[in-house]
Amino acid sequence: MAHKRGGIEMEGPDVPVAPMLDMAFQLLTFFVLTYRAAPVEGQFVMNLLPPQAATAMAAAAAEPSASNDLPASLRTLPVVLRGDDQGRLAQVSIADLDVSNDPKALAEELDRHFLDPDAPFDQTLIKVDPNLRYSDLMTIIDAFTDAFVRAKKEPKLSFDELRAGDGA
Amino acid sequence: MAGGVISKEKAEPNLTPLLDIVFQLITFFMLVINFASDNYDQRINLPDAGSARPVEDDSRISEDRLVLNVDSEGRLLQGEKVMGIDEAAQSIRHQADLVKLSLRSSGVKFDPATGSLPTTIILRADKETTFGAVLGIIKACQSQGFRKFALKAMIRS
Repeated sequence: MAHKRGGIEMEGPDVPVAPMLDMAFQLLTFFVLTYRAAPVEGQFVMNLLPPQAATAMAAAAAEPSASNDLPASLRTLPVVLRGDDQGRLAQVSIADLDVSNDPKALAEELDRHFLDPDAPFDQTLIKVDPNLRYSDLMTIIDAFTDAFVRAKKEPKLSFDELRAGDGA
Repeated sequence: MAGGVISKEKAEPNLTPLLDIVFQLITFFMLVINFASDNYDQRINLPDAGSARPVEDDSRISEDRLVLNVDSEGRLLQGEKVMGIDEAAQSIRHQADLVKLSLRSSGVKFDPATGSLPTTIILRADKETTFGAVLGIIKACQSQGFRKFALKAMIRS
């Protein structure tokens, strides 16, 4: 390749760029074809304490506020989730009352508990049927987290296994 | 330019800027591919949840993390290894021992009765698994002193 500098024609090295470009395109094709977008994952962060002492220890973990010095058992909203034979969510009981598992109805019921200034609940203990599918449990966790956020409270959830005779 | 005279000069397009762009694209895809294959196990189908927090936004989980993948049968996946609950409990105990050893070497005392390990358990469980199977893994972690958990879900758009 000829370059002109100060009126003098200079011969520079003639580097063939085309093979390098070929390689670069091959690499690019490889990476484009093997690329899998990282899934958008989220998470629910929680302190899960051993089941035997879940309520008491959750209360210990929670910072007691001056306006709310009720015992943990009174501040904890008891929830029971039962599944059917296929492990699908069949029944939701909140504070011993059966609630529809329709998301809208569930959200309204949770708002009734968490948005009411006279209601003492600031945490929840969910007793779950061991056969319940994880996806259905996540739906409930999702609804509770939303309700806590709407009530401007830090979501505090804990789980326990539903045993025979619990919440009957 | 005279009629009938053919110029024998070759056109020389400047390929350097094109090469620059291609190398930038290659760099981008290489980096993205490295991030994507970090901890994600493609065998796990996570459940959906709209209010799950994005990972980067959450300052509550510690730097020290242990990722546990639980498949639809309730087994723990560790690379190519598939473990039942007993083997999983053993593996978790081994991980907890490593964390405790690391705490001891840095001069932090750990009381197994009251203390909790600083490690956050990142639990990636398949949506088809049962709560009982997930609870088995959670209990195995709790018995070793792990208290902080992050339950993973796909963020619905």
